[in-house]
Amino acid sequence: MTAFGSMGIAQIKAGLAAKEFSASEVAAQTFENIARADEQVHAFLETTEALAQDAAARIDRAIAEGRFGDMGVLAGVPVAFKDNMNLTGTHTTCSSRMLENYVSPYTATCVEKCLQAGALPIGKLNMDEFAFGSSTETSAFGPTRNPWDLERVPGGSSGGSAAAVAAGMVCATLGSDTGGSIRQPGSFCGIVAVKPTYGVVSRYGVVAFGSSLDQVGPFTRSVEDAAFVLNALAGRDPLDCTSQVCDVDFTANLAEGVCGMRIGVVPAFMEAQGLTSEVREKVEDAIAQLKALGAEIVEVDLPHARAAMSAYYVLGPCEAFSNLARFDSVRYGYCDPDHADLGSQYEASRAIGFGAEAKRRIMLGSYLLSSGVYDKYYYPAQQVRTLITQDYTQAYERVDCILTPVSPRTAFKFGEIGDPTEMYLSDMFTISINIAGNGGMSFPVGLGRETGLPVGVQLISPAFKDANMLRVAAALETVYGKAPVAPAFAEEKGAE
Amino acid sequence: MTEHVSQADVRAIAEYARIGLTAEEVVSMTADLNAIIDSLAPITEYDLEGVPPTFHPIGDLSNVMREDKVRGSFTQEVALSNAPKQEDGSFLIPSILGEGGDR
Repeated sequence: MTAFGSMGIAQIKAGLAAKEFSASEVAAQTFENIARADEQVHAFLETTEALAQDAAARIDRAIAEGRFGDMGVLAGVPVAFKDNMNLTGTHTTCSSRMLENYVSPYTATCVEKCLQAGALPIGKLNMDEFAFGSSTETSAFGPTRNPWDLERVPGGSSGGSAAAVAAGMVCATLGSDTGGSIRQPGSFCGIVAVKPTYGVVSRYGVVAFGSSLDQVGPFTRSVEDAAFVLNALAGRDPLDCTSQVCDVDFTANLAEGVCGMRIGVVPAFMEAQGLTSEVREKVEDAIAQLKALGAEIVEVDLPHARAAMSAYYVLGPCEAFSNLARFDSVRYGYCDPDHADLGSQYEASRAIGFGAEAKRRIMLGSYLLSSGVYDKYYYPAQQVRTLITQDYTQAYERVDCILTPVSPRTAFKFGEIGDPTEMYLSDMFTISINIAGNGGMSFPVGLGRETGLPVGVQLISPAFKDANMLRVAAALETVYGKAPVAPAFAEEKGAE
Repeated sequence: MTEHVSQADVRAIAEYARIGLTAEEVVSMTADLNAIIDSLAPITEYDLEGVPPTFHPIGDLSNVMREDKVRGSFTQEVALSNAPKQEDGSFLIPSILGEGGDR
């Protein structure tokens, strides 16, 4: 059996173009592989065989008619989606009891763009409930396991999206990132994971968490594949007024190397409390490699980054409180039966429909937006946002890209972190990027010396210069190689 | 740990957020919220005099309208397709007026 999930996009498309295999075979074998591998990983909440076979038939017809070249950047490539992304006719649960029976009546723009680019839609992926979490443990439908060590979390909230790629089930998935939810699971699972600049990808049809922070991006095992998916995703969407015109070919400068590039490092981040020595070593190694490749390493200061964490845990819950008010047990979502008045129906439905972390965030947002408290936390958090954004603007006067750790440590074990405030520290290096809105990505630089688990470095671009970080990542890839499929799931044939 | 919110506050917040909490949940929620609010302290420690707020990373948008042209939308049937309860083409809710009505 050919493991299409362990191939890259160019490899699949070359095989299709040469008629070594058909898109229908790609789809069928992808589902066979998922049936086997996902018994252990639990990345998927739903698989979409009929939709994939329909898309595959269109690709196969185009190949037969000599039109394969017109079918788009993802033609015949299996792609799966985080379960907060609507796709008509599929369940979109956000891993919540609240939406367990919800069936999408429409398709999110990011999903639609993949389909228009010829992708085979494979299914919907597990996540922390409503994206509230860093481990995928808060999913109402059971956790996803890390393909590198099934006793450990894949990270979160886009844990299913990361695990499906790391286990070689598919070569590309989409996730969403509000405070680190693409980059941290990318790091924990040892793959390439990109949160583009806010505004590069439309948020239409993606169930909202923090509307001024959320951004969709790809998980892949190579930088080139991430660039291909970004080419499909990016651009202005009339249905999301914050999306921006984006006429960039993200693959264009991948081979340029880093010679002459100025790459920033943040000394305070490297000395941060909680940063493990094995992660620090790998980050320092990546810095040394870039220097050897000809980059100029420049120390930069982000003095207000210390406040990013608290700003995020003000702004995120406030926006979530507002966004999750729509779950009213009337138009869609869980409805507790047999209530004589609407108030008690609301309260019971939301009490049963939402899990513990969702309730905590809603309650926190409700408190922080209340009269008197607003002036103490919410308004200052928006002022701090200005200072954090200015920090980045000033740093980017001196550098083209900034390199930091993604997560202070490698993947932790299930149940190891129970305290919510400790869990929040998982995102200490990723959060300020969402606050400022610029692009960030995780690139895997090998395994930690102590835990033997994947470590990612974070590359941070100036706003709308996402090509910068991809170029640096591509240079690192020449040293560290493409991300491998996790050993327990690597097939001999087709593995890269 | 500072008590930012009391159990009575938590009950009031829950009512405002329309989330029914059991007595035990009120106790644990109060402890969790106080711990989280404690961790937000850095936000109160900066001198922010004169610093303008940034409410959104794409800052220069206001009243973004599309052209006022009719276009396709959900049929009534599709709009109701996920409704837990419906009747005669409408969403069905418990009575909100008169006896047994909302508080």
